[in-house]
Amino acid sequence: MPKWKIYTPEGVQDILFEDCFLKRDLEYKLRNLFRSSGFYEIETPTLEFYDTFSADGDLTPQETMFKFFDPQGRILVLRPDATIPVARVAATKLKDVEYPLKVSYIGNTFRYNELGGGRQKEFTQAGIEILGVNTAEADAEVIATAAAAMKAVGIENFQIDIGQVDFFKGIMEQTGLSDEDTEQMRVLIDKKDFIGIEELVEKYNISADLKNLILDLPRLFGPVGIIDSVEKRTDNARSIAALQNLRKVLQILDDYELSEYISIDLGMVQSLNYYTGIVFRGFTYGVGFPVISGGRYDNLVEKFGKRCSATGFSMGVNLLMIALEKQKIEVKKPGVQTLVCYDKDSRKIAFKLCEELRNQGMSVEMDVSGKNLEEIKKYAKNRKTGGIMFVRNGGEIELYDVNTGKTTVTSIEELENK
Amino acid sequence: MRYLTIALSKGRLTDYSIEMFEAIGIDCSELKSSSRKLIMSDEKNKIKFFLVKPADVPTYVEYGAADMGIVGKDTLLEEGRNLYEVLNLGFAACRMVLAGPAELAGKLDSLKDKRVATKYPRIAREYFEHKRRESIEVIKLHGSVELAPLIGLAEVIVDIVESGRTLKENGLVVLDEIAEISARLIVNRVSMKMESERINKIISSLRKQLEKGVVSK
Repeated sequence: MPKWKIYTPEGVQDILFEDCFLKRDLEYKLRNLFRSSGFYEIETPTLEFYDTFSADGDLTPQETMFKFFDPQGRILVLRPDATIPVARVAATKLKDVEYPLKVSYIGNTFRYNELGGGRQKEFTQAGIEILGVNTAEADAEVIATAAAAMKAVGIENFQIDIGQVDFFKGIMEQTGLSDEDTEQMRVLIDKKDFIGIEELVEKYNISADLKNLILDLPRLFGPVGIIDSVEKRTDNARSIAALQNLRKVLQILDDYELSEYISIDLGMVQSLNYYTGIVFRGFTYGVGFPVISGGRYDNLVEKFGKRCSATGFSMGVNLLMIALEKQKIEVKKPGVQTLVCYDKDSRKIAFKLCEELRNQGMSVEMDVSGKNLEEIKKYAKNRKTGGIMFVRNGGEIELYDVNTGKTTVTSIEELENK
Repeated sequence: MRYLTIALSKGRLTDYSIEMFEAIGIDCSELKSSSRKLIMSDEKNKIKFFLVKPADVPTYVEYGAADMGIVGKDTLLEEGRNLYEVLNLGFAACRMVLAGPAELAGKLDSLKDKRVATKYPRIAREYFEHKRRESIEVIKLHGSVELAPLIGLAEVIVDIVESGRTLKENGLVVLDEIAEISARLIVNRVSMKMESERINKIISSLRKQLEKGVVSK
């Protein structure tokens, strides 16, 4: 007996009625936003070669990917990320287009380790990428679009934290940390592990000022003013350039009138091999994880054969749904407005009526149950259908309001005149 | 105002944790009472507390079910959760070590196959993978780990050592130090940002208390 036939694997889910309606609605709103902001949507395959994703070991470790073999023995994966395929396409099929190239996507991604607190192994990501330009304007545009996306789905209470990984890289260069220690330091700072940072820093013979700056890295988050105070304590060119770049992006975002949503986190140092400049994350109440993640990744496209700077973000649609629910934000619900049924002489008229109402934009269900009117009324009530139109005697219509239980009688002609 | 939720470890960390929070003016009277309520609160400061098994604290905090938590570094290392570790509270201090029979001291590399008995499989694997760059066989036990090398279940153990008395009495020695262990204050990554003002206030008050040395260790 096939033991597992009625179950689904852990980490994937059936998304039904109201949830599905909401999800499509969010995707629709995001798609509209991306389109109206000048992005062109692309769809890349769910299945790709393992090699495409293995180039960036620390972003998508191999143990997080669902893998298969093709008949030639090559390793395939379910895509664990949506940005890397965009980079592949940009460096190959779109290598000769004029820049900037603005791309958007909405699709499912798959990761083994994503589970718990609202995360699933299969999850939908929506996002944009701007390729081929390395300007502060592009970074700001991406962040502004991320903020607009939060508003578009109905979330007003959110925060976007912005960092600049070059600030950290500059300080590590100045300190002379080995690559291995730099990576360890990155992990420690990312976890705000003050004790670990101190232990690691003690190994190096550096000035007290620099040491204190490193120890403070995990605390360098909050209001925008942090940049000024940090700049005074920084004396390497790379880090100072990073702060100036950050300031420029913030000035642009100020003109977008987004300052109230923005704060700074110079201790945000995710995946150094991947990100090369501005990085940011978006947070809201009700979800324990960032719902938005993005930044500049100028070295990724090159791995697929073409030098091309890039910046972008992606957001987790499933996490947004949880945030909306937890924040008790009113969302649209699916529902049928009218159920049409008929007696045996009025079928043709009923079909015509149905078509007309649908053309007017109503959602109309045609009765196919073969039940009598009383049973149909009960069904409509349970389904929360708005009303019933019973077409009888070749053109007479009995209107039944499910909420009030009231019946009125009219005719096709009268309805058409309304 | 939204409630801040704090997850506390049930067991030897509980009393210390209560002492710390009371020292900074958070009302823990409901926590100290012997009621069977699962969630206790300080209405004035809008803080909720709950007590769970130590190994569950990082889970609650990572998923955002709790904004903050107090838990031992051993649990944090073993659970490997994605969260902020913001303060070393100092209490419940001990060491995570690699230990084994005295005759293995300095000759660990000569052992070809290493079976490692431990309550902390993840810590043991990471230590051997990153620090010693070796493959090992982990034998997960739930208690009396020191017994394993004595009766040939394993060559070495990875475990917590406080005074070292149990090791000594059984002819075992510390072969290497893995980590310093003590209680830590942890914070959810989103809460740290969305509730930064209140959380930072708690962190800095606790830090001040620690500097004053008010809380017993």
